[in-house]
Amino acid sequence: MLRSVKGVICQGPKLDSGYFLHASARAWLSAAVNQDAQIPAEKPRAVFRTNESNPANHAEQHEGQHYSIPLQEVKVVFPHGLPYRFQMQMKTFNESCLMVRKPALELLGYLKSTNLAHPAIRYVIYGEKGTGKTMTLCHAIHYCAKQDWLVLHIPDAHVWVKNCRELMQSSYNKERFDQPLEASTWLKNFKTSNDHFLKEIKTQQTYMWSKRESTEKGRPLGEVVEQGLTRVKNASDAVGVVLKELKQQCPLGAFRLLVAVDGINALWGQTTLRKKDKSAVSPEELTLVHNLRKMVVNDWNGGAIVTTLSQTGSLFKPRSAYLPHELLGKEGFDTLDPFIPIRVSNYSQREFESCYQYYLDRKWLQHDRARTEEGRKELLFLSNSNPWQLERISAYL
Amino acid sequence: MAAPTAGRLAALGRRLAAPARAWLPGLTQVRWSRYDPSYLEPEVNKELYRKPLEELSEEEKMQQELKALQPIKATPSNVTSSVFSDPTISKFTNMMMKGGNKVLARSIVTQTLETIKRKQIEKYHQASEEERESIECNPYIIFHQALKNCQPIIGLCNIQKGGKTYQVPSPLKDNRKRFLAMKWLITECREHKHHRTFMHEKLSQELLQAFNNEGPVIKRKHDMHKMAEANRAYAHYRWW
Repeated sequence: MLRSVKGVICQGPKLDSGYFLHASARAWLSAAVNQDAQIPAEKPRAVFRTNESNPANHAEQHEGQHYSIPLQEVKVVFPHGLPYRFQMQMKTFNESCLMVRKPALELLGYLKSTNLAHPAIRYVIYGEKGTGKTMTLCHAIHYCAKQDWLVLHIPDAHVWVKNCRELMQSSYNKERFDQPLEASTWLKNFKTSNDHFLKEIKTQQTYMWSKRESTEKGRPLGEVVEQGLTRVKNASDAVGVVLKELKQQCPLGAFRLLVAVDGINALWGQTTLRKKDKSAVSPEELTLVHNLRKMVVNDWNGGAIVTTLSQTGSLFKPRSAYLPHELLGKEGFDTLDPFIPIRVSNYSQREFESCYQYYLDRKWLQHDRARTEEGRKELLFLSNSNPWQLERISAYL
Repeated sequence: MAAPTAGRLAALGRRLAAPARAWLPGLTQVRWSRYDPSYLEPEVNKELYRKPLEELSEEEKMQQELKALQPIKATPSNVTSSVFSDPTISKFTNMMMKGGNKVLARSIVTQTLETIKRKQIEKYHQASEEERESIECNPYIIFHQALKNCQPIIGLCNIQKGGKTYQVPSPLKDNRKRFLAMKWLITECREHKHHRTFMHEKLSQELLQAFNNEGPVIKRKHDMHKMAEANRAYAHYRWW
């Protein structure tokens, strides 16, 4: 079954026509790039770096090399979504460098040959802890942002099912619960990355927020987002409206939609939230989760759904669990089935060497023994080529 | 590590020739070990084992033969053959430890080193070309230099004479100096800083200040020196 789905993607035609949002939208990316001071051309090109900063041109020859994203672009494309330690690294090194790896190249290949007439294909990136699933997702998001897709990025679905300070009963549906704080933070970040799209997409029906406030049919979607930001009580419903509108309008062909969810196993797991009578809240009783679940079903076309499984933020799952069956559970697996699994594993020899050279170049490995062959072998042994572990060890060396 | 081991082994060798007595009448052992005196100390340094036979001196060859025959003590769990292991850092971690929670102490120390490195590298990237050479980014060098700057040269000890206790200036052993430097650093961070800041943040600030010869720990060292200078008159009370 999976093989036939893969066959469908490979035969699909390349994307070309009919996207009028191109010209106006691409201007913002190039403007953002021009503002940032580029690396001077005289700097010698090291083996672990590549000058190719457009993910569309990344090919197998770039495997294992780091490409840098200008910091202005990072602020626009990734207002949320980069891992915390990567953000600290960006601040320290004053640059943002991503490694081009095989799973990401595979995923980019599939995205390049998506057939927009067919239902959206779901990709699930899975792997052991710390192998680079979130960074692969970010690579795909950067590619789609450069190619002018509308990126719907949920940075960590686990945040929506735990540690909620204000859980209020939803005004739209008495059974469900709203999370105003999480919804408004998400809307703010969504606005930063997709501002130009929000001005052009129009609502297709009237929405009544309260007796006096409403959004008419035909108003730009940006107004719905503003409504959610100003009236925080309606933020979760605003998110639901945005998702519904995007799902309805994407098949019409005006824009291509990428739904990127990190930690999708949160939608079908358990929550740590409790109702007033101390009984547990199940995920479908949360408005945000309910609406996101509808988004991840493949009954729309004109884009793709890329998700990541994550044990790190998950609730009530053992640390050794990383396979889709273990993390998604029966319900989640049945909803996501059929999907294309993309396995991300530890660094290969070449990738490890590249990462090691990058840290040496950025003066991150300061211990004088770290530069020796002995030190390198010890780093390889201690980290077991696991990217997360290597980063944590080289932090204090 | 090799030189003191050689000295100790030579002394052991001499003692082994004579009958080994762990007990003498009139002498009580303060620190004693369950090991028989014939047990040798373990050697963790990989470099020494890799030396080819020709480079070994006579003494080292004798040691190797001894190791083949004599029993060797078990290595304690805090000793590693890692190239990154540092005895000063281990000592500092042990002094930070509370209630045997070595995991927490070690994590604090590694986070401190990371924080120092981040601060210095950020400064490095934002500085101009001339200033870059003067900025030290290696957290280990900063740590060792800061500790060295905090070590007092002369200390005070209490001597009772004629019913009164006098603070008499006296020389300090190396171990005592290192201990005092580390103790002052840790106490300063624990007691005189805001309790809601993280320990690694407080420690990194203190270490960077001590590296530049400023800050409260350096002040405490100077206070100790001034007291010793003030009590110079009583220096002759010391008889050792």
